[in-house]
Amino acid sequence: MHTASRYAWTAMIVLFLIAMIVLLVLSSDAHAWFETRDEKLRAVKTVGIVSAIGDQFTLAKAGLTGLDNSSRSVSIASWGLDDLIVQRVGEALSNRFQVQPVTYSRATFATVRESAIAAVDLVRGDRFKKLVQTEVSPQGLDAYIVITKAKANFGGGNRKVEGVGLITYRTVLESVGLLHALYEIRVVDGRTFDVIEKLAAGPSDSASSVRLAGPSLVIDAKFDEPDETLRRAVVDLLIRSLPNTLSDMHLLNPRQ
Amino acid sequence: MKLTIEAALCIVARGAYRALLAAALNAMLAACDRASAQTAFTLPAPPFELPLLPPVSGDWTVMIGAEGQYRPDFEGANHSLFSPVPIFSIRRAGSVEQFRSPRDNPSIALIDFGNLRAGPAGKFVPSRKAGSYSELSGFGDVKAAFELGGFIEYFPVDWFRVRNETRGGFGGHQGVVSDFSADFIVPVTRAITVSVGPRFTWESTKAVAPYFNIDAIQAMATGLPMFDAKGGAHSVGAGAQVKYRINPQWEVHSYIEYDRLLGDAAKSPIVTARGSVNQTTVGIGASYSFDFKIR
Repeated sequence: MHTASRYAWTAMIVLFLIAMIVLLVLSSDAHAWFETRDEKLRAVKTVGIVSAIGDQFTLAKAGLTGLDNSSRSVSIASWGLDDLIVQRVGEALSNRFQVQPVTYSRATFATVRESAIAAVDLVRGDRFKKLVQTEVSPQGLDAYIVITKAKANFGGGNRKVEGVGLITYRTVLESVGLLHALYEIRVVDGRTFDVIEKLAAGPSDSASSVRLAGPSLVIDAKFDEPDETLRRAVVDLLIRSLPNTLSDMHLLNPRQ
Repeated sequence: MKLTIEAALCIVARGAYRALLAAALNAMLAACDRASAQTAFTLPAPPFELPLLPPVSGDWTVMIGAEGQYRPDFEGANHSLFSPVPIFSIRRAGSVEQFRSPRDNPSIALIDFGNLRAGPAGKFVPSRKAGSYSELSGFGDVKAAFELGGFIEYFPVDWFRVRNETRGGFGGHQGVVSDFSADFIVPVTRAITVSVGPRFTWESTKAVAPYFNIDAIQAMATGLPMFDAKGGAHSVGAGAQVKYRINPQWEVHSYIEYDRLLGDAAKSPIVTARGSVNQTTVGIGASYSFDFKIR
């Protein structure tokens, strides 16, 4: 009798849970939860583009380094990479969306850093959501495309590289440079300020002998300062990777 | 594809050749685009997306492979056994695998300052069946154990890592195990990496006793003296591994890990009479990576 009662309770709990799940799935809120990005993007007509990746060029060393392996940053604001990105992304998206110019503080977006503690980012949420709400004008567009620096692991150790720069990887027998332009794109809902989609640009050459999770180029030459050659190579990396990244995010017209 | 622009860049300082450089660079970048490795296949976008999880669209890399591992039958054993170990991983295309010693157990870095990482770690210790090994005849079985705890590792420079894993056991033992290791990581070329370093393990009494104690009944059954194993320094040793990335798809690796049992683990008659304090594990493996895309 006691066992039968236990089974009955278990069955009731299971049925209750199933009923709750069915109700949840049928409710409109649940539909929003499981709504695909394509469904969310279908309602987007007007977009604004925010870009904040290209103000600093980082020169770093990895592999067999001395005890001081700190990186060095050089201003490349004059390269106008963010203006170029806004222009290129605007052109690419104009076939599908009505792209409207927006104003924002580029430095504010560029200085946002992820916390080293994963739980902190989970609790406080995506910090760019708040910035779009407070720093971008005009408000009221359907969505905002936010392009910022991305970070990626490099080499066997725990070295991380970020944004635009050149990392020199030294080994016993050779030394190789890797030029990178790491960025990620967010689509922020202009009404709820939820992040509809976020994706870091993928590698430009998956068969490279030195791998990095983002647009990069192996160069076997030494550079002490960023110059015109590197600027042209970085621009090329960005121009080649932007259409692929936007396509992976389903932001381009299918016919594009 | 490796894109080398050395020839063009070495003449960068010569103004007369700047136009030539620009043309050469453009030609090579275009060649890079044509010759880039293609994804093996493309999957359609999933029909739904789960909240809180990032979208899966984009390029992914799958690694499959196998490793042959020749290791002691059980801790303290005199004989070794060859066993195959599958290799499988899936990650975003281009992302690199961070340095991993053969002694590292599965872990997640919840705190990541770049050169300092920490988070939970776990290990599965298989059961020790007395009936499976003649040396353990007369002893009881030890159940499988799950060890859960945390890890912390620090890279003062790119080529040196120190790591500690401290775990508490459930099941086969209820003790505490703390593994310390240091690794010098030497990139010989961009394709070959060699690492080598010392190891040390400390274990509490509850972690040692189930494997090295001999109670009165076991003593009578085996003819060995009774033994009450206490915790403390458990083993000291060294390890080395070599990784060679033949091309973007194929990678081979090999390693050797040596431990010398210490303390009561080394003094237990299970080891002194029927086993060995010298514990060596050798492994060799190969893996193949390919990319695929999710729309």
